[in-house]
Amino acid sequence: MRGRILKDRVATALLWGCMAAVLSILAGILLFLIVRGAGALSWEFLTQPPRDSMTKGGILTPLVGTIQLVAVAMAFAFPVGVLTAVYLNEYAGEDRFTRLLRLAIRSLAGVPSVVFGLFGLSFFVIFLRFGSSLLSAGLTLGCLALPVIVGASEAALKAVPQDYRDASYAMGATRWQTIRKVVLPAAFPAILTGGILSVGRVAGETAPIIFTGAAFFAPEIAKSLFSQVMALPYHVLILATAGTNIEETRGIQYGTILVLLLVVLGITLAGVLWRARLRMRSSR
Amino acid sequence: MSRMKFEISNLNLHYGNTRALKDVTIDLPGNSVTAFIGPSGCGKSTFLRCLNRMNDFIPRCRVEGRVLLDGTDIYAPGTDVITLRRRVGMVFQKPNPFPTSIFDNVAYGPRLHGTTDRESLERIVQQSLEGAALWDEVRDKLNTPALSLSGGQQQRLCIARAIAVQPEVLLMDEPTSALDPMSTARIEELVRELKTKYTVIIVTHNMQQAARISDLTAFFLLGEMVEAGPTQDIFTSPADRRTEDYITGRFG
Repeated sequence: MRGRILKDRVATALLWGCMAAVLSILAGILLFLIVRGAGALSWEFLTQPPRDSMTKGGILTPLVGTIQLVAVAMAFAFPVGVLTAVYLNEYAGEDRFTRLLRLAIRSLAGVPSVVFGLFGLSFFVIFLRFGSSLLSAGLTLGCLALPVIVGASEAALKAVPQDYRDASYAMGATRWQTIRKVVLPAAFPAILTGGILSVGRVAGETAPIIFTGAAFFAPEIAKSLFSQVMALPYHVLILATAGTNIEETRGIQYGTILVLLLVVLGITLAGVLWRARLRMRSSR
Repeated sequence: MSRMKFEISNLNLHYGNTRALKDVTIDLPGNSVTAFIGPSGCGKSTFLRCLNRMNDFIPRCRVEGRVLLDGTDIYAPGTDVITLRRRVGMVFQKPNPFPTSIFDNVAYGPRLHGTTDRESLERIVQQSLEGAALWDEVRDKLNTPALSLSGGQQQRLCIARAIAVQPEVLLMDEPTSALDPMSTARIEELVRELKTKYTVIIVTHNMQQAARISDLTAFFLLGEMVEAGPTQDIFTSPADRRTEDYITGRFG
């Protein structure tokens, strides 16, 4: 009897310990960035482009660039990813071909991001002649997000009770009507979760955009899909490795990372709030 | 009782190599309640789902035989399954309202089939909810989520949703098995009213229920339709020994 209770306590302590470790790593990173980077933050930092060989001024251009990249990536990857998942879950049966397809998509999620960069370079930049541009880089990032979105969407669609589909078909709905009016709305909050997760991944990537559209320095915000863009993670990489005065810009580097983190958190928060609203409308 | 709504002859259904229905032959009259009874796994639900071709979705499921609805074979090539299901509605075992508002649940079918103006939808929703004896309970909260209703109310909502497309036949697959006795009584009362407008075919586990609400009863066992006839005859003087054993509670 006593042994059993002891084991229960040990297990509880162990689980709690793991949770605490994860939390403290997160808190540590955040604290470290705030301590080092908060000093650089100011209104000017967010609203001015870099100047004096990027040793002074703000980060407006890379900040807007990152948001533009995320927007292009999502505009491409979200609809394509969701519709792919609809095909896989609602249309394709369970056979050798679809099992292979699913395996391929899962493997895609494990491919190093630099490989996506090289793919983007040869396909979007050179083959499709989009050049080194916001469009090429955004689409490359979209490819990176695709497997995450497909996976999450498929799981979300699978979780929609068969009852809903039966009820719809029994009233004379076609398959597409059932998917569009019943299945997708029911799955949408969970699909959104996949989208939110992939935004975080996309916003922080450097390797896929170096070859495809990120600029070392751009004098102004990209005004067209075919302009090059600056991006927050690449900006940090440059300041930290190839800047004219690496030590002097430490503050800017930490500040930039902190802003990147805040941008991702902001987008995530917006997604979470949207999802909560959708859920509230549908149940209880 | 009027003329025959469904005439089914020599219906066989296979799941892969398993024969789930064996030479079922039965006629179902219009504007009446027919109950299918029998132990679990006897094929009564499977048979019910043959009547609006809901078995079409099951892989490796094969149907042979003839199912005439008003004299037309619904398994003939070129049959419009969409129209068929509109004419033959269905209510399921577990209440399955969509996770949307009460109004949108009932309006779902009419919208599918092209009714879009608000006024007509409101009229249909009210009539359907009245038909399902739910209107008085929900008239002031049509925009609240359907899932906030009780189980019994949800099932009546599903009935309202089914009759909103004005079907001719209503198939009910154990519609009260997930409900408490009070809700069950309300649904049973409703079924008796529904038969004035619709042909109701109900699968039930509950023999008292079949006796209470149906005009005709068919007894299924191991994929066979053993016996069918006026409910009173089936329960008082069954012709087949197996029917007698089942309704007297010797098995099942």
